[in-house]
Amino acid sequence: MTTEQTVRSLDDPDLFVETPGTIYDAIPPLPPRTEREAEFYTMRDGEMLINLGPQHPSTHGVLRVVLKIDGERVVDLDPVLGYLHRGVEKICENGDWHHAISNCDPLEYIAAMFSEAMPVMVAEKLLDLGVPRRAEYIRVLAWELNRISSHALFVGWLALDLGGLTPILYGFIERDEIVEMLAALTGQRLLFNYLRIGGVNGDLNHDFLSRLGDWMGNALKRIEDQQKLLNSNEIFVARTRGLGVIDRDLARRTLLSGPVLRATGIPYDVRRAHPYSVYPELEFTIPTREEGDSYARYLLHLDEIKQSIHIIDQVLHRMPDGPVMAKVPRLMRVPPGRAYVSIESPRGQYSAYGMSDGSDQPFRLRIHDPSFFNLQAVGLLMPGNLVADTMAIMASVDPIMGGVDK
Amino acid sequence: MSIITRPWGRLTLAGKIMLPLVALLVLLTVLLLVGFASGALPFLLGLGGQLVGDNIDIARFAAAATALLLFTVPTAFVIILMEMKLIAFVNLRVGPNRQGPWGILSSTLHGFKVLAKEDFTPTGVDVPVFTLAPVVTYLGAVMTIMVIPFAPGLFGLDMNIALLYFFAVAGLGVIGLMMAGWSSFNKYSLLGGLRAAAGIISYEIPLILAVVGVVMLAGTMSLNQIVANQAGTFADWYVFQQPLGLIIFFIAAAAETGRTPFDLNEADSEIVAGFATEYSGMRFGFFFFAEYVNLFIMSALTTTLFLGGWNAPLDAQPVLDFFNVTLNTALDPGALGMGLLFLVALGPPLLILLFTLPIWMLKSDWSFLKSLVVGFLLFNLVVMLFVGIWAYMTFPFVAGLFWFMAKTFTLVALFVIMRGTLPRVRMDQLMGFAWKWLISAALLNLLITAAAIVVLRDPSMPWN
Repeated sequence: MTTEQTVRSLDDPDLFVETPGTIYDAIPPLPPRTEREAEFYTMRDGEMLINLGPQHPSTHGVLRVVLKIDGERVVDLDPVLGYLHRGVEKICENGDWHHAISNCDPLEYIAAMFSEAMPVMVAEKLLDLGVPRRAEYIRVLAWELNRISSHALFVGWLALDLGGLTPILYGFIERDEIVEMLAALTGQRLLFNYLRIGGVNGDLNHDFLSRLGDWMGNALKRIEDQQKLLNSNEIFVARTRGLGVIDRDLARRTLLSGPVLRATGIPYDVRRAHPYSVYPELEFTIPTREEGDSYARYLLHLDEIKQSIHIIDQVLHRMPDGPVMAKVPRLMRVPPGRAYVSIESPRGQYSAYGMSDGSDQPFRLRIHDPSFFNLQAVGLLMPGNLVADTMAIMASVDPIMGGVDK
Repeated sequence: MSIITRPWGRLTLAGKIMLPLVALLVLLTVLLLVGFASGALPFLLGLGGQLVGDNIDIARFAAAATALLLFTVPTAFVIILMEMKLIAFVNLRVGPNRQGPWGILSSTLHGFKVLAKEDFTPTGVDVPVFTLAPVVTYLGAVMTIMVIPFAPGLFGLDMNIALLYFFAVAGLGVIGLMMAGWSSFNKYSLLGGLRAAAGIISYEIPLILAVVGVVMLAGTMSLNQIVANQAGTFADWYVFQQPLGLIIFFIAAAAETGRTPFDLNEADSEIVAGFATEYSGMRFGFFFFAEYVNLFIMSALTTTLFLGGWNAPLDAQPVLDFFNVTLNTALDPGALGMGLLFLVALGPPLLILLFTLPIWMLKSDWSFLKSLVVGFLLFNLVVMLFVGIWAYMTFPFVAGLFWFMAKTFTLVALFVIMRGTLPRVRMDQLMGFAWKWLISAALLNLLITAAAIVVLRDPSMPWN
């Protein structure tokens, strides 16, 4: 007796159809690993789980949040991280210090100029290397431009998650001009790879300066014009005022930093609190807001854009002459030791703790990303709100998943 | 045989139905042409005319329903194009500019693309409900258009309870959305369907209450009669007697059609695409079209109720009399005699050349052929303009249709610009606004209207 063999053509419409009954069978649940997980996945009457992400149209990056909802109201949530984990810190240990710059670039991919500064500043501190003043000024210029481009996107994203189609495109006008400008300076639009240990890669050029001059001439006025669309919008204010209120206690407990912290009234800015580079020589104020809600965070970002434009103005007036690169050996052996550096990124305190064993490779480079800590607050803010507000809260905290998952 | 059977097997059900229909249409066209040519058709029409004449009401209804069903599709295309271009203008973008001149074909081609896409039914959905939901939604939208008076004598049905019928049938659309949300086997769809149900049912109350004021003023629910009551200049429109009613109606209409800022049922940043998440191909197309048809119908109803329907805002005759202009639209081509022959034979080529030569001379990089084509198109536009003016002055229904469409599309543009500028409200804000503010305002409007009618129309009052 021969076994019956049927050759099925790819044109057979029944080839890939499963038996309809199977998908109704629940996936056998894994035993809960923690008490918290057991509590979360125990459903009461009328509750259901819903996935926000990792492929949701408006998650910021690939964050997945499992929401437990009762009707439209969020009862509880379970954030699932790690979809973008690439082990950047470990990769940094396998290349030399120069490779670490480009490896750290995509951590904060909206404002890459800040994350790529981490290995650079750690190595400079360990080497006790004096960076030329012109290079420091160029760094501040690039940082502040990048901060504006990041904040301009924040405003658009917040409005987009509230359903407004237009502000994101207005935000991209500013971002595109700045990004093109930085591309003229660094050669890249997104991941700049511009800072070097001991300076920067290349001096200011004519293309960059002419673009900067064009943009600076009307940047402030144009940004203010564009914000009229949201600032005087009744629906936008009603949606954001009182949404996701963070008080000072919560902010201190969850180690918040950046605009999220300053919107609660704590004037903590690394540029003032632990000055680095040439920030002590520059005049700027640290805007704060008292309310701590999404609207306060939105207004704070606008204030910070104005301050950054002010800083850029001063930097352009004070830019000294001189080299943009210190004399450093091509094969750089960093003396053994440990160093901690921190800077103020658009999202908060970006810091790194580096160890060197005397070779040309970092022994350990631990990156502290503000997005990860700010994201902790999101988990505490979402329960009790409506599903519609979850994305708005997340947008107002503005996490970058590249740095969260590392 | 496989070269025929294989493509046939790959077609979806919609395709299998559409393909014979297209063949049938081609066949019918050929038959009609042959019939006209051979003179057999008038004979057949004579027989048919007898049948139609006996059942004129049914025939009129069938013809009107078919015509309006076919009318919705190009209308939706025009509104979609308008939305693409207007929102692009608000966003400081260029918008679609590749398909056809200035991208005017893009929405049409999107429509055909949707037809050609795979009609996918996910595993686990409730198949009959899932399949019927878009049809119900589209039907609800299309059936309401029957009672709207487009122009004098141009309407599907003249009912004495047209408004009642309108709101009864418009309420059917939400059943389709709920069916889609429930049957899709998807939690986003479920949330979207429930949001649609809650929102639309809440906003029907202020919508209808706002209309009651107009009904009280007009004393009828027939839309034709309501338009006829507003005849005269623009001061006779009901918007000036019911300003609050218009505002309430406009806001509630935006919510009823699921437009920004009330587009919670398909909030793309929260619940992916709401009730339409699992739909693809032409089934999604039906939802998409229904939204725009609903938008058109709501704007049309606003025009009918508040903005005077097909009435012109001002009568042109006094203006013409003031400037002592007399326009004679009764053309008598026969009076030209032999001149008519010259006009027909020489007029068009000369005019085309007149339009072509300046273009050819000014655009140095254009070939003469290209200039000729543009000149020909320009000539056609100008002739169409003159024919349009002549038709406007000769036929009252052309003038009525012009004013009706102008008002309706102005309102549509307002809805579209609202989408470009406003963010979305939250569910509780949506419900709170309807129940706390809109219904109260609508009741206040009713009270004022009723009191005004009693006082102003009382014969014992000195002003009567």
